[in-house]
Amino acid sequence: MVSTSSVVLKNIRKSFGAVEVIKGIDLTISPGEFCVFVGPSGCGKSTLLRIIAGLEEASTGAIEIGGQDVTQAEPSSRGIAMVFQSYALYPHLTVRDNIGFGLSLAKRPKAEIAQRVGAAAEALQLTPLLDRKPKALSGGQRQRVAIGRAIVRDPKVFLFDEPLSNLDAALRAQMRIELSDLHRKLGATMIYVTHDQVEAMTMADKIVVLNGGRIEQVGSPMDLYHAPVSAFVAGFIGSPKMNLYDGASIGEACTTYGIRPEHLRLTDEGPRWIGTVRHVERLGADTVIYLNVPNLGEMVVRTDGDSNPAIGATQGVSPVAGRAFHFT
Amino acid sequence: MNPRHIRQRNIGLIALGFALVIFIMPFAYIFLMAVKTKQEAALFLFNWPSHWQLWANLVDVVQTRNYMLLLAYFNSTIITVGAVSLLVMFGAMVGYVLQRRPSGWNRLIYACILIGLMVPPAVVPTIWVLQGLGLFKTIYGMILIQVAYGLAFSVLLFRSFIGTIPRDLDEAAIIDGAKPWQIFYRVILPLLKPVTVTLIVVQAIAIFNDFTNPLYYLPGKENVTVQLTLFNFQSQFQSQYNLLFMNILLVTIPPLLVFIFFNRQIVAGMTAGAVKG
Repeated sequence: MVSTSSVVLKNIRKSFGAVEVIKGIDLTISPGEFCVFVGPSGCGKSTLLRIIAGLEEASTGAIEIGGQDVTQAEPSSRGIAMVFQSYALYPHLTVRDNIGFGLSLAKRPKAEIAQRVGAAAEALQLTPLLDRKPKALSGGQRQRVAIGRAIVRDPKVFLFDEPLSNLDAALRAQMRIELSDLHRKLGATMIYVTHDQVEAMTMADKIVVLNGGRIEQVGSPMDLYHAPVSAFVAGFIGSPKMNLYDGASIGEACTTYGIRPEHLRLTDEGPRWIGTVRHVERLGADTVIYLNVPNLGEMVVRTDGDSNPAIGATQGVSPVAGRAFHFT
Repeated sequence: MNPRHIRQRNIGLIALGFALVIFIMPFAYIFLMAVKTKQEAALFLFNWPSHWQLWANLVDVVQTRNYMLLLAYFNSTIITVGAVSLLVMFGAMVGYVLQRRPSGWNRLIYACILIGLMVPPAVVPTIWVLQGLGLFKTIYGMILIQVAYGLAFSVLLFRSFIGTIPRDLDEAAIIDGAKPWQIFYRVILPLLKPVTVTLIVVQAIAIFNDFTNPLYYLPGKENVTVQLTLFNFQSQFQSQYNLLFMNILLVTIPPLLVFIFFNRQIVAGMTAGAVKG
C-alpha cells in the first residue's frame, strides 16, 4: 500500500494575539514522503503541525490533504492521525480500548474493532499487552501504543510531535529504526516534528528547516548537509555544529564563513589557524577537539579516535580544500 | 527494649488515649444513653445502664409519630442523592469548561464562585425567592438550595483537579473523532473518579446531617428530614433523653458507614494530583 495523499500548505500564517508565530508558509509534501520539520524551540514547527492536524486554526492560508481542501474541516475528518510527545494515552482504558477508542466513537461493529485492533497490535508486537493499563507499560511500549492508536485509524497522513523526546538514548535509536520500518511498510505520508537534527537526518526523505516562523530551507538530508543555503541551516544540520565566523575577521569576502568540524585537519605544516587546545572529547571512533583561536574564538575539530592532544598545547589547523561555505 | 523504644511506645499510647477520649467517648456516651430507661437517662451519667432496653427504645423511636423517622430517612436520602448527583455533574462540567476554555468571562465567573463561597446565604430573601418560584416547602426546592450552597466548592475542587489532566488527552480524543461531550464523558469524567468520591462523601455527609437549612426551607410534617426528627423527643415540659439519644444513634449510622467505606478514597482524592503518579 502506497499512500496517494499529498499535503499542500498555501501561505499559512498564524498569530497568537499580536505575535505572529507562522509567517507565511508554502510547502508541498509528496505522497508517501517522510517529511521532518526541524528547528530550534519556538520556531513554530509544533504550531505548524497542530495547524495541519486541525488543533489550531490558521489565521490565513489553506491546507490540502490528498487533494481536498481541509482548511475548515474537523481534525477527525481530515484523515490524519497524531502521535503526541506525551503519548496522551487514556489512563483509564486498557491498551486494547486505547487503540480502539476512535473506532468505538465511530460506532464500528465490535467484531471489526477487535479485528483491526488485533492487526495493529500484531504489527507493533503489542498483542501480549492488550489488557494492561498504560501505567503498567514502559516508555517504549507506551510509544508503540500511541503509534497503534494512529495506525488503526488508517489515516492518509501520520503526524508525529516530537514522539521520541521522552525516551532514553538507546530506546530512541531503536525507535528511530522502528519508525523508519513502519514508514516503509505502510508507505503512508508522515510528518514528523523534532528539534533533534539526528532524528531529522536519519529518518527524513525531506527536511524542512524552520526558523522564526519561516521556512529556511527544504531538501533531502544530504542536500542540506552539502548545500545549506544559509548560516542558520548550516549551523543546525550536522553534529558537532559547523564552525561559523564573521567573514571579515577571517579575511574572506563573505558575511559568514563556515567550516564543518569534520573538514578541518590538524597540521603543523603551514596551518591556516593556530589555537590552544581547551577541551578534548574522546568518543572512541572520533575525537572532538575544542580549540581557542586568537581573534576568532572557539573552533571545533573532529578528528580520528586515537589523536589525543594535551590540553593547553598549541595546535595548527587547516580546512580541507573546497569544503568551506561562504554565506552572504 | 531500650529506653528510646519505650519512650516512643509510651508517646504512642498517650496519643491513642487522647484519640480514644475525643472520638470514642462521645459515641460511647450516646450509645449508653440510648439503651437506658427514661428515668436513668434523665440523670445524664456516664455509667453502665442498670437495665438494657436497646430493642424497646429502638422500636419506640421508629414508631414515634406514625413512623416519622422512616419518612425522614426517605426524605433525607432523596435530598442527599439528588443534591450530590447534581453537584457532581454540574461541578465537573463547569470546572471542565472553566479550566479548558479560557475566555473573558472567566474572571467574572471566578468572582461569582468566590462570592458563593464567602457570602453567607440570607434566609428570608431566599424563602421569598422559593415562594415566588413555588418551590418553598418542596423537596425539589431543598435539593436546589443544597446544590446552590455546595456548587462553588465543588466547581473549585473539580477545576483544580482537571488542571492536572494533560490537555493532550483532550486533543488525542479530538483527533480520534470525539465530540466535546464525548471528550467529557468518555475521557475526562472517568479520570475524575478520586475527586468525585471525595466530593460525594464530603457533600453527602454534610447534606444528610444538615439541620438548619431543612429547618428554614423545608417546614411541614411530611417534609421532615432525619436531623429534624430529633425535635420529636424534646419539648418544653417533657424530654425523653433515652429516645433522643437512640434517635441520634440511628441518624449517625449512615454517614458513619459512608465514611468507613470510602475513607481510603477520600484521602486519595485529597492528595491526588499533588504528586504525579
